[in-house]
Amino acid sequence: MDPARIAIIVGMGLVTFLIRVVPQLFFAGRSFPEAFERYLRYLSYALIASIVSTSLFLAGPRFEAAAAPNRAFALAVAVLVASWTGRPLLGMLFGALLAQILPWLSATW
Amino acid sequence: MIFSFRSVKRNVMISSSPFREGVKAAVPIWIAYISTSFTLGIAAKAYGLHMGEIVLMSALVFAAPAQFAALEPLASGKPALQIFLVTFLINLRFLVMSAAIAPYFVGIKRPALLLSSHLISISTFILPYVHFQKQASEVAKAEKMEDRGKGNFHYFLGLAVTSFSVWVIGTGVGYWAALHVPSGFEEGLKFMLPGYFACILTSELRGKSALLITMVSFFAAVPAALLNTDWGWLVAALAIGSFGWGMEQWIRRGSR
Repeated sequence: MDPARIAIIVGMGLVTFLIRVVPQLFFAGRSFPEAFERYLRYLSYALIASIVSTSLFLAGPRFEAAAAPNRAFALAVAVLVASWTGRPLLGMLFGALLAQILPWLSATW
Repeated sequence: MIFSFRSVKRNVMISSSPFREGVKAAVPIWIAYISTSFTLGIAAKAYGLHMGEIVLMSALVFAAPAQFAALEPLASGKPALQIFLVTFLINLRFLVMSAAIAPYFVGIKRPALLLSSHLISISTFILPYVHFQKQASEVAKAEKMEDRGKGNFHYFLGLAVTSFSVWVIGTGVGYWAALHVPSGFEEGLKFMLPGYFACILTSELRGKSALLITMVSFFAAVPAALLNTDWGWLVAALAIGSFGWGMEQWIRRGSR
């Protein structure tokens, strides 16, 4: 195991623990404005969408142009299946299957 | 002696019942956690992390979106500050949840409260919170607040401790499974976690603003990351989230 990574993981744990613990010490029972809660929700949506995008289409600092169309198609299908069925797991499995099969198909044809 | 044994037995029975209820209520969370933690373990292997690293992360962070966000930056050696900032921003929602659930644990000693706060996640917050609210409106006022606080706390522990265990073990099992996948399946494995989060996000989105913010962030992230590898996508996501929220606030005020 890489000691630098371990240190970062421990740091992540501390950051998260502080966020969880501080309200128990100082803000117990306090309700936050609805607009603030909505702001936090929007921030996490924006962050997660950005991470989905960069995880799928970038390899370090490089845009994976050759793989991007297949992955984008697989993602679109996954999201559609998840929306229709209401089952995120099923959507992901469809998408992963497509992401795996599409490069084989395009190489064969 | 008999008296003390009986009182201990009675206390255990009183306190173990809400705990058991919590365990029963946790079953749907376990099912959801098994698939997510398993996928997280598989993705960690695909990104080249060590099994001990991802299991440790699951135990210390216990927050799927933040863990997912850290995989790529950890694997590619991005600055620690960036990882901490993303972890902080994504997990900031726990602040509101932790504050909201705290009043239901009246009479619980502070060390126990502080330790148990580590078990608060979106799922382990929502179920007990709804349960406590429902219970508060049903239970007679005659019941002592401290007794109710203890019962609530044991219910939360039953639900959260088992869910946490499933999360940590599931991550390890997912990683172990990925070790046995033959080479040639990298594309499918790499897709799994971002694909899963995209699907979960889709089912969570409510309202036009949330949808718009998510879509714009998704499309802006890659160009922003190409402009600045370390901070580009993060700054873009913060700007889009803040701007979208600000616009919505402005429109709401205008329509009043």
